[in-house]
Amino acid sequence: MKLLDSTDKKDTMRLKTRTIQEINTGSMADIAFLLLIFFLVSTTILQEKGLSLKLPPPPEDQTVAEIHDRNLFKIQINSNNQFLIEDAVRGDLKGLREEVKAFILNKSNDPNLSISPLKATISIKVNRGTHYKYFIEALDEVKEAYYEIYAERVGMSSHDYRQLDLSKSTHKLLYEKGKEGVPMNISIAQPD
Amino acid sequence: MRLRKKKKQTTEISTASLPDIVFLLLFFFMVSATIQPKDEQVKYKSPSAQAITSIKQKTLVREIVIGQPKNTDYGVEDVVTVDNRIIQPAQLTQWAMEQKESLPEAYRDQMIIVIKADEYVNMGLIIDVQEELKKANARKVVYRALPETTTL
Repeated sequence: MKLLDSTDKKDTMRLKTRTIQEINTGSMADIAFLLLIFFLVSTTILQEKGLSLKLPPPPEDQTVAEIHDRNLFKIQINSNNQFLIEDAVRGDLKGLREEVKAFILNKSNDPNLSISPLKATISIKVNRGTHYKYFIEALDEVKEAYYEIYAERVGMSSHDYRQLDLSKSTHKLLYEKGKEGVPMNISIAQPD
Repeated sequence: MRLRKKKKQTTEISTASLPDIVFLLLFFFMVSATIQPKDEQVKYKSPSAQAITSIKQKTLVREIVIGQPKNTDYGVEDVVTVDNRIIQPAQLTQWAMEQKESLPEAYRDQMIIVIKADEYVNMGLIIDVQEELKKANARKVVYRALPETTTL
């Protein structure tokens, strides 16, 4: 009898202690909003993306390099934003990327294309009245052509190649391997 | 048995101070994230491009913004601005030198100039800016461009 009594007591005790404990969730909304605002602010600020280019040294240090005509791929843009590519008038830049790639690599040893990727130079010449947008368009096509060559050599897509993190040694190795022997010779010529 | 009884008391954490903590954090991030206030003097729309790379070392970046002034008192011609003030292209060499000085010695040659220019700026102005940068030996340039959103 006594034993039964004690178990009864135990049961009632348990019931009392098992009150449902709730965490106040009233502030969850605040936290969520805070995070939302923080990410909104930080993502718009860190948009430092673009086309990188290394400018040549100032005129006094320049060595005048003679570039053979066959090693030079000329892109000219006039003040009406019309393109003149290898002395042919063009309305748009369709197919330029493939032409640039063919010019640099010259797999078929065409005497009109570059001797070797090392010597190949792409020259972009603008007029003072050219709009910036068209210059960027041309530069973009040329850079993309180079990146596609690099990426192809290491078996990646151009997009992935551009995303390589140079602070990681494995990534850097891939990057160097893709670039080896094909320097990005892009010249921005002075307008007349 | 007795021990359990004592332990299983309902305890509630006071959440009254949570909103305060949240607001504190909010203000902290608001202040620290907007390092450069975005009251730019010019209107610009970056062109879009495909072969873009992002810059990893944010501390080495200095910006030049080129576009039409928002305030029409400065005319409608495109102007060059640095740190939200209008500057003559000829003064850029001086500016670039000063910016280099502000970096630690080992990183001075690695300074990256980001040119944020409007799509319809004339290239003459960009070329002038580049010439000044060359004089200051600030030769790493990034033309800011946005990734293409629609590919036809």
